[in-house]
Amino acid sequence: MKIKSLFLVLTICISIAVQAQKSEYNAQSISDSLKENANAVVRLNQIDILIASQRSMTIKTKRVITVLNEKGLRAIDAIEWYNKSTTVRSIEAIVYDGLGNEIKKIKRKDFKDQSAVSGSTLFSENRYVFLDYTPIVYPFTLIYESEVQTSTTAFIPEWKPLTDYFLSVEKSILNVNCPSNLGFKKKEANFSDFKIVKSTDTPTQLSYTATHILAQKREEYSPDFDVIFPVVTMGLEYFNLEGVDGNAKTWKEYGQWFSEKILSGTDDLSAETKTKIRTLVGNETDPIKKARIVYHYVQEKTRYIFIHVGIGGWKPMPASDVDRLGYGDCKALSNYTKALLEAVDVPAYYTELYGDEDKMDIKSDFVSIQGNHVILCVPNKDKYLFLECTSQDIPFGYQANFTDDRNVIVMKPDGGEIIRTKIYDDTDNTKSSKGSYTVAPDGTLSGTVTMVSEGTRYGRKYYLEKMQPTDQEKHYKEYWDNINNLKIDKLAFVNDKEAIRFTENVAISAVNYGTIANNKMMVPVNAFTQYTGSVKRIRNRKTPFEIARGSADSDEIKVVLPAGFSVEFLPANFESKTKFGSYTTEIIKKDDNNLIYKRTLFVKSGLYANKDYDEYRLFMEQVNRNDNAKIILTKN
Amino acid sequence: MHFSKTTSVFFFLLLSIISNAQNFELGKVTVAELQEKSHPKDSSAVAAILFKKGESRYEYKKDEGFIKITDVVARIKIYKKEGYDWATEIVSYSIREDSKESVSFSDAVTYNLNGGKIEKTSLKSDGIFDQKVNKYRAEKKITMPNVKEGSVLEFKYSIRSQNIGISRNWDFQTTIPVNFSEYKTFVPEYYVFNTNQKGFLFPVVTAEHKQKSVKFMQMERADPGWSSSNTNTSFYTSSLTYLENKTTYVLENVPALKTEAYVNNIDNYTASLVEELSMTQYPNQPLKKYSTDWKSLVKTIYKFDDFGEELDNTSYFEDDFKALLAGLNSPEEKIMAIFKFVKSNIKWDGYYGFYCNDGVKKAYKNKTGNVAEINLMLTAMLRYAGLQANPVLISTRANGIALFPNLNAFDYVIAAVETTDGIILLDATEKYASPNILPTRDLNWIGRLIRKDETSLEVNLTPTTVSKEIVNMNFGVDKNGIITGKIRNQLSDHEALTFRKRNLLTLKDAYLEELENKNNGIEVGDYVRDNETDLSSPIVESYTFKDTKSFENINNKIYIAPLLFFATKENPFKQEVREYPIDFNYPKQTKFNINIELPEGYVVESLPAPMNVATADDIAAFKYIIANAGNKIQVQATLDLKKVIVAADYYQVIKDFFQQVVTKQNEKIVLVKK
Repeated sequence: MKIKSLFLVLTICISIAVQAQKSEYNAQSISDSLKENANAVVRLNQIDILIASQRSMTIKTKRVITVLNEKGLRAIDAIEWYNKSTTVRSIEAIVYDGLGNEIKKIKRKDFKDQSAVSGSTLFSENRYVFLDYTPIVYPFTLIYESEVQTSTTAFIPEWKPLTDYFLSVEKSILNVNCPSNLGFKKKEANFSDFKIVKSTDTPTQLSYTATHILAQKREEYSPDFDVIFPVVTMGLEYFNLEGVDGNAKTWKEYGQWFSEKILSGTDDLSAETKTKIRTLVGNETDPIKKARIVYHYVQEKTRYIFIHVGIGGWKPMPASDVDRLGYGDCKALSNYTKALLEAVDVPAYYTELYGDEDKMDIKSDFVSIQGNHVILCVPNKDKYLFLECTSQDIPFGYQANFTDDRNVIVMKPDGGEIIRTKIYDDTDNTKSSKGSYTVAPDGTLSGTVTMVSEGTRYGRKYYLEKMQPTDQEKHYKEYWDNINNLKIDKLAFVNDKEAIRFTENVAISAVNYGTIANNKMMVPVNAFTQYTGSVKRIRNRKTPFEIARGSADSDEIKVVLPAGFSVEFLPANFESKTKFGSYTTEIIKKDDNNLIYKRTLFVKSGLYANKDYDEYRLFMEQVNRNDNAKIILTKN
Repeated sequence: MHFSKTTSVFFFLLLSIISNAQNFELGKVTVAELQEKSHPKDSSAVAAILFKKGESRYEYKKDEGFIKITDVVARIKIYKKEGYDWATEIVSYSIREDSKESVSFSDAVTYNLNGGKIEKTSLKSDGIFDQKVNKYRAEKKITMPNVKEGSVLEFKYSIRSQNIGISRNWDFQTTIPVNFSEYKTFVPEYYVFNTNQKGFLFPVVTAEHKQKSVKFMQMERADPGWSSSNTNTSFYTSSLTYLENKTTYVLENVPALKTEAYVNNIDNYTASLVEELSMTQYPNQPLKKYSTDWKSLVKTIYKFDDFGEELDNTSYFEDDFKALLAGLNSPEEKIMAIFKFVKSNIKWDGYYGFYCNDGVKKAYKNKTGNVAEINLMLTAMLRYAGLQANPVLISTRANGIALFPNLNAFDYVIAAVETTDGIILLDATEKYASPNILPTRDLNWIGRLIRKDETSLEVNLTPTTVSKEIVNMNFGVDKNGIITGKIRNQLSDHEALTFRKRNLLTLKDAYLEELENKNNGIEVGDYVRDNETDLSSPIVESYTFKDTKSFENINNKIYIAPLLFFATKENPFKQEVREYPIDFNYPKQTKFNINIELPEGYVVESLPAPMNVATADDIAAFKYIIANAGNKIQVQATLDLKKVIVAADYYQVIKDFFQQVVTKQNEKIVLVKK
């Protein structure tokens, strides 16, 4: 059985190799439908994954790409990563011109070799080899072949027949071979609407062929690529991670394995440190209040530095080292905080997840190592509190915009458990603006406003406090891009981390805010919260659209009009209610010179159908138009 | 005046700084330094360099010959968490076979105040990292332990270079304040360095000459070339007395560098030193000049194998050239043909430099090359065709400005043809470039044209021809205010180059969506684009449009700004003050010719007033003409940006000017019912 299957794979390879004649990949043979909206065409992308044992996996790639123009270059994707457990056995490419004549052979030595260090990563063992090819003609076809061998079988690459926008696919093949005793499993998603044939699906073999996938346009407000387009996720129940064997059928078992093999022995602290933290906590008995004290201690003591070595990519640096050095990555800092909490008898659990502005779930129905980030979970009666340990600034328990509203895997003492993190309700994400402005007879505006932001809105604001003064000025001049000649006269912040509320007190002025012509003055009534953006018009939208986080704004502004003018026209009150939210404006005339302007804007989060998009666009256009409504004054 | 009352205070402060200066040594951190909550002169500073001292000297090692050793010591104060990045120090070094370097850190200690006492935490080996980045470069990094707000950090590092020709810059200024910065060089009389200073602040320089007597080596050497290590030298033991030139550069109280918009490259304004080996004179050997002046620089560079020799090589293209040049007589025809030939046949691989990598011959065969290969090949071909062609060394925008005869200052080369009508500049790495229309990366003040006879010439890279955008727009307004019309938009020179680079590859649908959304959500129809690839002609776009947003219907009156969605909504200059010059890249004219047809039953109630303004010294001008006859309105609006680089002194003038332009462009025609 096993031999036979191997043989089958071999014959497929050979037959393809024989067919890879010059003319086969002639650019002119691509059908017109595949060229439409495409910068490159995947003629063939064949991935053969051979899992020989729990500690050995070989991945062969053969990719034939016809690149139609410069923007299609990224589709070549000729890059392989390696480290101590992964080697690149072979990597090469041949380039053909549009007619199928060979232009260039690229051998391994012509690939570049680079370290994977960047940004906040201080050191990494990971390296990559990649092709840096300068095309001399378009279109051209590149045949890329590589073979990578690794002992880490915990991550089987996902199969995505379509990998990018503006890219079409003639054929994409996946073949997997695996011994029956490793518990190979897979999960298919988003196959409908695509031509995908599953030719083999046995406990030891899996084969798919996808054909003729048209190029897709990127559309604003689309859900994640992986949520719309086909993807097969694969994994093993018996796997190896950087030299450490593991097995897990359930999340419970996964958590047990992770705690025993990866986490154990990393949370020791010196007696001195334990005493210190106990003294700091003192007589406090409430576990959450204790956790708050410990969290602030960690924020004061540590900073984020990422060092990636071997299993250290998964195993946290010992808590005692973090204590001594005062730095670490998300794993190390979470684990350190956990150790400190345990020293004061507050239980806390190591938690893996995807940290991202997009709400990315750990796939709860697919037990495997997932995620890109680690936080800490603290039980709070029947609920849970989550602590982000890499930030020195964010409030205790604050999760918005990075770890909120998603499935995470929590390593409890008795095993792993999937838990959903805090959801920020649309109505809690508030920004209220209260203030007043005066318009002088020459059109000069002067005013003050107090803006209070909470919920997810807090996360968009609190960093203002830490900005350099020049950057703060720049921020407000962009925020109020509707006011030309803006001057920031006064600026003060209140960052209430207990209540998680950020308050901005700003005084501004601007000459020529009211424009005067022929004895008339035009004054845009909404000075402080004018929405000047727009939602892009998209012809024939195909994908659904998503508003990931809702919000609720409310404004109340006193307006003092100049003496010597009388009101010729006041904008009418306005109200709009849609399934995406609601918008109201109201002007209350107190007397000839005094008005009160009230405005609310509520945007509802949700996943909406593609055909709803235009309605949303029109809703936001109404907001834009009404926010720009003007008072007309006539000189007496 | 500033001096009156505060003089004595200043004097006192100065004294105290000077007395502190005596203690700029590692290990002498004070409680006062640890207690300091914010920088006394810049309360927004997240950290500060309390002192940084560098020392470069040359030592003779038995098996290595002369090596250069640079020692750096620094003390850094962390005020805020945002300054934690300063607790990581990265030193990049060469691992090329011909110029190996090594870096070692020592004496790295974090100081904290713990209950009034100074607490020291030393860096251990687990905080030191050595990372090979690629074939040529590696990085030694440290990250300090136990860093908190208030910490003071100290460290020392040494760089040993086999190659004495490698120059290192010394930056006195950075993005945080520097209280004291000192750089010392100890140079044996055999070497002469060119030292150039950049920025707006200049160090105090002191020089001494000392007799130095050491057990030294008499040497006999084969010509090592300027950049190779001294492997070809043989030595005979003897005692030698030589002169050592010691130079000290000190700059104190250097403010933090603030980054600003519209600055070409902040490095140009950073207070720093750049050193380059310009001469060597070993005992009993003739003086050897490298680049003290332009003449020796030109001589040096023409001698390089991967420069001069590459220019002389013509055999590889001669066969192809007979056909290419056949029937062409005028220099212009030849230039155009050769330029086009190189652009369409040899693709740029994205690498800068004025040295060839694989050589012109190989580049020609492979149809791909770096900047030098492409433009030296172009120069050689132009020469072969009988034109007076030469390379022009330039420093790209990303590399800063090259003002002195200094090889390291350049990172790029283009070609120039000297004609009776002036110099024509060519850069064949950019496929949409035309003669004298260079890609933006090249437009960086001045380049140096270098001839084979060792003469050279300063070449102004700043474009002088005006790039134009001319918009002809005819539209009608209906009685609800809805606007429909036609637009013809014409872009020339740099405007056309920018457009071609950005848009020719974009799929048409995507481009139209972008055009619509950029222009306030208009609907575009009948879109036609002319001269896409005819680089000698302007890009012309023609289309019809429908605009349902650029009007306001208030109280039965229609308000329209004649420029519609083309009106600039915001002043691009928002800062209150500006420290560095403004760079507009090239002279530009934007001109609108607009014809408006009014809705039936409406008349003009008011029109914006005409305007004609120009700034001081003719930097920029704006002209706005408007006329109404019957149911027609005609508008002509012209914005001229005449000067390319404008000194910061003019910032307020420019800002005010743009404010007038923005205001005028947004002023509205008011239409009322008859």
